[in-house]
Amino acid sequence: MVNARPRRVRTTRRSVKIAERIAQTLISIGGIGTIVAVSLIMVFLVWVVAPLVGGATTGPEARVSFPEQPGSLRAAESLESRERPLAGECVDAQVDEYRLLAWSVYTDGTFVVRRLDRGDELVRRALVPDGDPSGTSAIGAPSAIGVDVERGALGLGFADGSVRLGTVDFTAELLSGEGAARFEALAPGARETDGARVVERSEDGVLRAQTCRVAIGEPLDTGTTSAVVLIDQLETDAGRTLATWHADDSLALYRVVERENLMTGEITRKLESGRVSFARPDGFTPCRLLVSSGGSSTYLLSRDGRAARFDTRDPSAPALAELVDLLPETDAELTTARFLLGRTTLLVGDRRGGLGAYFVVKPDGATTRDGAHLVLAHELGREDEARGGSPAVVALATSQRTRLVAVAYADGAIHVFNVTSGKDLGELRVDGDIAALALAPKDDALIAFGAHGAHGAHGAHGASVWSFDPQHSEVTFAALFRPVWYEGYGGPEHVWQSSSGTDDFEPKLGLVPLVFGTLKATFYSLLFGVPIAILAALFSSEFLAPKVRVPIKSTVEIMAGLPSVVLGFLAAVIFAPFVQDVVPAVLASFATLPLALLAGAYAWQLLPQRLAVRLSDWRRFACIVAMLPVGVALAAWLGPHVESWLFAGDVKLWLSGERGSPFGGWMLLFTPLAALAVAISGSQFVTPWLRARSFGWGRAACARADLGRFAFNVLATFALAAALSGACAALGFDARGSFVDTFVQRNALVVGFVMGFAIIPIIYTIAEDALTSVPSHLRLASLAAGATPWQTAVHVILPTAASGLFSAVMVGLGRAVGETMIVLMATGNTPVMDWNMFSGFRTLSANIATELPEAVKNSTHYRTLFLAALLLFALTFAVNTAAEIVRQRFRRRAYQL
Amino acid sequence: MSEVLEAPVPQSRRVRRRASQRATSLFSNGEPMVWLTGGALALCVVMIVGMLCLVAVQGSGTFWPRALERFERLGASAVLGEVVQRETYEPNAAAFAGRDEATALELRARAERAGNVAERWLVRTENFELTGTHYTWVSDFEVTARSQPEWALSIERREGGPFYGELVGFDVGGERVATEPGAAWALFEEHLPAVVERVEARRAIERDEIGRVNRALEEQRLAVRRAELEHGPDAAPTRAARELAAAREQALQSEFQRLRGEIEALVRQNERFGLMIESADGTETRIPLGQVVRAFPVNQLGLSGRIGVYGARTAEFLTDEPRESNTEGGVLPAIFGTVTMTLVMSLLVVPFGVLAALYLREYAKPGPLVSFVRIAVNNLAGVPSIVFGVFGLGFFCYFVGASIDQLFYSENLPSPTFGTGGVLWASLTLALLTLPVVIVPTEEALAAVPSSMREGSYACGATKWQTIRRIVLPRALPGILTGMILAIARGAGEVAPLMLVGAVKLAPELPIDGEAPFVHPSRSFMHLGFHIYDLGFQSPNSEAAKPMVYTTTLLLIGIVVLLNVVAIAVRAKLRRRFQGAQV
Repeated sequence: MVNARPRRVRTTRRSVKIAERIAQTLISIGGIGTIVAVSLIMVFLVWVVAPLVGGATTGPEARVSFPEQPGSLRAAESLESRERPLAGECVDAQVDEYRLLAWSVYTDGTFVVRRLDRGDELVRRALVPDGDPSGTSAIGAPSAIGVDVERGALGLGFADGSVRLGTVDFTAELLSGEGAARFEALAPGARETDGARVVERSEDGVLRAQTCRVAIGEPLDTGTTSAVVLIDQLETDAGRTLATWHADDSLALYRVVERENLMTGEITRKLESGRVSFARPDGFTPCRLLVSSGGSSTYLLSRDGRAARFDTRDPSAPALAELVDLLPETDAELTTARFLLGRTTLLVGDRRGGLGAYFVVKPDGATTRDGAHLVLAHELGREDEARGGSPAVVALATSQRTRLVAVAYADGAIHVFNVTSGKDLGELRVDGDIAALALAPKDDALIAFGAHGAHGAHGAHGASVWSFDPQHSEVTFAALFRPVWYEGYGGPEHVWQSSSGTDDFEPKLGLVPLVFGTLKATFYSLLFGVPIAILAALFSSEFLAPKVRVPIKSTVEIMAGLPSVVLGFLAAVIFAPFVQDVVPAVLASFATLPLALLAGAYAWQLLPQRLAVRLSDWRRFACIVAMLPVGVALAAWLGPHVESWLFAGDVKLWLSGERGSPFGGWMLLFTPLAALAVAISGSQFVTPWLRARSFGWGRAACARADLGRFAFNVLATFALAAALSGACAALGFDARGSFVDTFVQRNALVVGFVMGFAIIPIIYTIAEDALTSVPSHLRLASLAAGATPWQTAVHVILPTAASGLFSAVMVGLGRAVGETMIVLMATGNTPVMDWNMFSGFRTLSANIATELPEAVKNSTHYRTLFLAALLLFALTFAVNTAAEIVRQRFRRRAYQL
Repeated sequence: MSEVLEAPVPQSRRVRRRASQRATSLFSNGEPMVWLTGGALALCVVMIVGMLCLVAVQGSGTFWPRALERFERLGASAVLGEVVQRETYEPNAAAFAGRDEATALELRARAERAGNVAERWLVRTENFELTGTHYTWVSDFEVTARSQPEWALSIERREGGPFYGELVGFDVGGERVATEPGAAWALFEEHLPAVVERVEARRAIERDEIGRVNRALEEQRLAVRRAELEHGPDAAPTRAARELAAAREQALQSEFQRLRGEIEALVRQNERFGLMIESADGTETRIPLGQVVRAFPVNQLGLSGRIGVYGARTAEFLTDEPRESNTEGGVLPAIFGTVTMTLVMSLLVVPFGVLAALYLREYAKPGPLVSFVRIAVNNLAGVPSIVFGVFGLGFFCYFVGASIDQLFYSENLPSPTFGTGGVLWASLTLALLTLPVVIVPTEEALAAVPSSMREGSYACGATKWQTIRRIVLPRALPGILTGMILAIARGAGEVAPLMLVGAVKLAPELPIDGEAPFVHPSRSFMHLGFHIYDLGFQSPNSEAAKPMVYTTTLLLIGIVVLLNVVAIAVRAKLRRRFQGAQV
């Protein structure tokens, strides 16, 4: 018979083993996974921010040679074709946004359209054909050509003094139905020439036909027969402004006003003109004429680098505003000049390889007619060679959407710069000379056109095409954290202004105002929160009966979890308007609340000792609470008086500097300082003396003496403060403009209060824990040695718990730095930089909250906001780590004691 | 003796000797300094209590029906409304402006007779479409008579805000069937239930039926788009899909027309009934019954009647959808969104938080790396919440969400499905945010389990997992629960990250509803905290929205405080239990 008793299991059951294994794996994977997921935050932020650092990316060079004898030359039907060898230099060139076509204009008036990928000529014509039927006397090549690539506008000047206006533009149409049938076989990405147009099937299967059209208008009589030497025009929505420089040394301005007759649809063009002659100084050979945005200034540039700026705000009365030497070096020679996007910043390239960006600023006390001066704001240069050493700048191309400029040098190098940030996006090289540069309309390609007849290896002339991505050219370390000279500003400044309504906007990505705002919010909230929280923690840990302490501590702890949106709402809707009404009373309460408490304390000392001891449990705390309304009432009563004594009857007018003396502002600063000074000197000199004198006095006598000392101290404080303030005011210093200035409803004071209120619970909780965890034997030993509770608290507890208190403050600081909702709702969110406690500001966190939802994914703005988030992350992480390390050291020390 | 701990001051040696002969000097008590510290604590407590009281008083008073008072004014039209505020002021020239000269002189004389100190009342007059204002100041010197009209009605409308006026009649189909207020009121009470029923029916049609038709139409469009993506724009299957869609669309359109007809019939029926109301300035307005949410002659109401109105309004607040760009009606979608988001968040954060804590405390080898990780996790609690929002937007919405869209919802592109803020992403973001809130207390609780118990368990032959499951985890439960509740409280109150990852001003479609597949993790949602921000800060009419914000604030604070109190209570209770068991 087999043993009936079940065998005792000595080994662990399989299921237990499996469970053990599963649990171990699961917990390890889950735990490590969670920790990895958390560290992913930092990695991801860095990953998003990282592309800000890199330069531009460029594709490989695609070379296109332009055949000398065009085989496939076809003219558009309405245009007359002419077989004529190219003579003259390329004035300007541009490509369309799909990079199918390129047009070039030559100095002899020839206009050529080419297929960009193969170089075939599609159109070649003279801009003004011989025998133009409508032509009057203006036959022949234009004597001056001005091109506005951005707007596709042409201006032609002639030897007889007349001008013509024209347009050149690309039109894309999508083919469908019958028109598309012929190109059925075209594969995606393939192109085909069809007459003067190029048809391409895009990657998503759409047929697109691209044409380049040029139209030249009727000759306009300018009222002079002197030959046009230079011409420039400006197209605005209101009409065109045209500037011409004539052979008789006169500058003429025309505003072309187009009026459409509503009945007939007929368009009449009218010229409003003004003329000024300019006595050229010696050596002033005009080579460029440029009209700035809005027609406010017209620049006449000379070969030797001098610029005559004409004030042309009124086109009928132009006048010389100033004569500036743009290139002060004696041997400098201007080679090329062009406006940056927006036609306000003037880019000037010289023979020594320098490139300067100039614009007008309006400083106070300018002596020119229009109160403006042309200044050099940025110098852009190749990094490889020092300015003055590199080859001459031969061509410039500006972007149509950003502040990029492509610069071609005489040695065949091409650099692309962002003018605002000065970032050099890298170098490209071609063999041979460059006649013209073009940046494709979407900034996605860079095209270098070879000089006529001299384009080295690839044919008589041709082009090099690079696909191009400028990435985040606006951002450099300096652009984010150093003052930058933005267009129209008086000098380099820290500015944050990430977007605007206009297209030619210069993004201003200075993070410093936001960092400043964050620090300001933190400073004011810590100023309010830290003393209250630490003192409160000290009181509750050392002087409060446990019966009262427990509920109070739980309440404050719950407040730590209070949603900050609630505080933000209360701050913005209740507190800010309230403070606005009672500013003087609020300022007075800083003095009256402590005074009321101190007065209460001195009155308490007058109580007989027996009574005082018996009442010194929660009843004393109740008395302290009762002193608060007294202080508030005192402040409310004092408010109007303070306003009339210190602030000339109206604090807001006083703050904006409209009335009153500086005395009041200094009182604000010196009263707390004087109180501190009096308190310290009192404890150093008066207390020992009083103690010596009081030997043998009764308690009541001591209390009366103490009260007297208090009264004396108060008077001394105000006298000292008044004396110092009076001295400052007499010396002519005015606090307005520094920590007090114009009043704004949502201001730092309000944020300081409310955010201070938000961080008090955290600081209080940690500080209280640190204080209570001081070993009680220290406390008891001190008391047993005869120290009073206050002496024990100050000399034993506080030093022992100091590192814990420090870490509490650090944690509070971390919270204040990152707090979003309160500052978002209660600051007004203007990125200004001043320490004024009555003005608003914009913090990093509020800025992220307002701008990130609107930022385009992966744009520079988006990545800069991520950088702001990373900054916040790093800052709080560092602060918290410091706090944590200090706290752990404190803990160790506390255990050792 | 008391001077021993002070820094030695050489000059005062004599003093010290003498002082030390006394037991305690009054000056060493530091009473004034103690009072200062006490004042700081008192200030904290007073501020906290004051803030809570302010919110409680303002928030709970919103729905209390207040008497409608009628002020006859000299030289201006009468005003009817609730007095919401009173104050004394010194009237200046502006107070007399806008009246003819004689009246202005008279008023000035009256004001001067009272010592040029006047009392004025802020009267909530409503009737915005007639007056263009919600509030009017009324000064005592201009008032000739003040009364509480018996038949002053406070009417809450579906559109255009409340309306205050005196009932003068009842109108059926353009015919005034009652001209006496009592009779008109009786008729109103008789007809209102049927009208409300029709309004409900209309809303049901709009929400359910028309919603269904719209979804079906959208589905057809997507089917065509899907076919296009799959087969190309001109392929045969695409054409077939297009034809099918066109046919179905026609059927749906006719269905749509039928529903519109039904709605119009309901609206026409409701339009027949109207209350004739005379507002304070004497103009008579017809208010169709279909517009009326609630109307009551407030001055006739006794305490029980007012409590009834208060209860009805509170119930509406908690269970209805918002009206009038969130300034009226209820916050049900916001409550629902908050609860859903927090629930999903805690489902995610609690298991992973506990796993991480278990790993850190029980499985990982203690060393510098683990203590570094511990510090890092601790510090994560101090990282600003907006940073988590930025991460959530960049990683979950734009990276993960966009990839999901590419793979599964390509027919919807370019309009994003998961590639934008939604309740799932918000929950995940907040889960990351609250992870340290769970990990830290859980770990502390695990560490607090006495090692003697573990060793006892091991000695009995239990494996590590058995020990953890049977001995350690139950003991650590209070800590875990505390962490969970604190995480929920934090998640419920957090707003800044939600602004980036999916909380919106108005989301009529809830993240969970009766429509397949019932759970819609990609939908954006409403949140109580964001509701407060939006209403209090971005509302075009923030003054009118204020009472509503207070009530929402009260609700949010209530939830958060309740959760915190529960956390404290749970912790205390479980601690006691285990302390009892642990001997």
